[in-house]
Amino acid sequence: MKNTSDVVGSLFLFLLGIGAIIGAIRLHVGSPTEPQPGFFPFLGGISLIVLSSIIFLKGWLGHSQKKVAFGEVGRPALLLAVMIVLVAVLDRLGYVIGTFIASGLILRILNVKSWRVLILTSFCLSIGTYILFDKLLGIELPVGILARFGL
Amino acid sequence: MDFLTNLSQGFSVALNPWNLLFAAIGAVIGTAIGVLPGLGPPATVALLLPVTYKMDPASAIIMLAGIFYGAMYGGSTTSILLNIPGEAASVVTCLDGYQMARQGRAGPALGISAIGSFIAGTISVFGMSLVAPSLASFALKFGPPEYFSLVLLGLMMAVYLSEESIIKGLAMATLGLLLGMVGIDPVLGATRFTFGVSRLLDGFDFVVVAMGLFGISEVLINLEAPEIRDIFKTSFKGLLPTREDWRRCWASVLRGSFLGFFIGVLPGGGAIISSFISYAVEKRVSKHPEEFGKGAIEGVAAPESANNAASTSSFIPLLTLGIPGNATIAMIFVALMIHGIRPGPLLLQEHPNLFWGVIASMYIGNIMLLGLNLPLIGMWVRLLKVPYHYLAVVVVIICVIGAYSVKNAVFDVGTMVAFGVMGYLMRKGGFPPAPLILAMILGPILERSLQQSLISSGGDPSIFIEKPISAALLCVAAFLMLTPILKRLWKRNRPVQNT
Repeated sequence: MKNTSDVVGSLFLFLLGIGAIIGAIRLHVGSPTEPQPGFFPFLGGISLIVLSSIIFLKGWLGHSQKKVAFGEVGRPALLLAVMIVLVAVLDRLGYVIGTFIASGLILRILNVKSWRVLILTSFCLSIGTYILFDKLLGIELPVGILARFGL
Repeated sequence: MDFLTNLSQGFSVALNPWNLLFAAIGAVIGTAIGVLPGLGPPATVALLLPVTYKMDPASAIIMLAGIFYGAMYGGSTTSILLNIPGEAASVVTCLDGYQMARQGRAGPALGISAIGSFIAGTISVFGMSLVAPSLASFALKFGPPEYFSLVLLGLMMAVYLSEESIIKGLAMATLGLLLGMVGIDPVLGATRFTFGVSRLLDGFDFVVVAMGLFGISEVLINLEAPEIRDIFKTSFKGLLPTREDWRRCWASVLRGSFLGFFIGVLPGGGAIISSFISYAVEKRVSKHPEEFGKGAIEGVAAPESANNAASTSSFIPLLTLGIPGNATIAMIFVALMIHGIRPGPLLLQEHPNLFWGVIASMYIGNIMLLGLNLPLIGMWVRLLKVPYHYLAVVVVIICVIGAYSVKNAVFDVGTMVAFGVMGYLMRKGGFPPAPLILAMILGPILERSLQQSLISSGGDPSIFIEKPISAALLCVAAFLMLTPILKRLWKRNRPVQNT
């Protein structure tokens, strides 16, 4: 039986290999005596094409060992959506507000039903980590709109 | 005498109050993440890298090392009480540990795993103190061809021992090499694969990639299944194994310690492989192999000793050759680089305090862990009652902080999320992430030594087989890659021979 995940994965790797070869040629491959910046990527691209072809064949012929079994993908997808939104707004909203909202949403995705627990946990996490990392450990985190309040 | 002088120098570093504190913090965090399923040592070390930015390098490595070997101690608790491995190296402990718990012998199972880990850890640190300096001075003779072959062998071993398909492991290592080429070429200074994005000029940061591949992807995987933690309710009285237990398993502890030590030294070897091999060896040499899987104490003692010994000895290739053998050690390699320290044969000469300080801290760390794991076992069991959603949200937030802190850029947070998705899909498809990160780290060394070798030989690749050390290393690498084909041929010929 065909292993779809291996077929799809190998095609993706194959395309990456092709891309690496095109990029390597543009950079100039050179020769073993005078290797140019594209020399190593060229070798890598060729290897990736060969290996992905083997994975493709094994997957197509059903010789692969492991098959993908996705569980409930709704929650991982929602978490990803929250993280993408967080990336988009982190600079503007700032760390404290951004992570407060994001942690609340993540906890909700993880079936935390009590709003009190949700708000309190998110608040403690965003403020606590901000104090620990920014104020105590000196890791500069984005302040965002809170800069207006002199934070 | 030199050994004792060096070790006493190491103890003077390790016994510094701050370093003692960091060793204790490492041991506590390590035990906690070992106990908690769903967060492994590579992810934790990656998550905590930003915390070490402003620390003294020796303190940072002492803490990160403590996390690694501390996780080996903690992992057994979850395996024994929940039948779920706290981390991958404790998978095999579930087989007999959980059965012992069901028979009302959780105490001796936890006790022997902590004491066995302590004995193994101490033996391994002692072995490391003896072997590492000689190996470092031997490695000083290595030129670019030897380094190229060594790095290649390290990668091949990581692929070979990655439990998944070798072809997929090789593909991931190649992908890692290609990802490592993004940015400025280490030899000629040309810009490669940046697509005009100035943020990519320095390439992908290892911390960002590791947090995505190990941290975010682990959370995504864990979110797929509903959380079920059925802690086995039992008494922890009588943690110390009985005389009969000792009679049965003292040899298993020693065998596991030595086996773990030697497997850990191999690049690509490590705690996971050593625990499986030592379990298989114990079952083979046992007078009662039928008891394995039904609560044999040797089935807990041997793998727990082996994984601890291996986690310690896997520091040897890092500190002496500059080759990280597994994903956690790769993160410690990154931590050293962040502090401007290049791991390798010169480390011992240039930073003897760090080298011997880390080794000495492991002796102390093992004593701390014994104290943490035996009397405080009840506390670690209570930790298991903390719902996973709190851990998941903390991991996500620390990943965001860690990625952002690398260059104070949201771009890196986005990159981390992208690598998180990639890691998730890779794991689902059986593509191992460890060879990718190792190849990314080792790629520039491999490229530099390949180019230097070819330039010095006038483009003649035979330089790699003319040098005896390089030739030997390449032979081993080739043998490893051919092993699956040879195995298949052997299996195909076997029935023919029988008939």
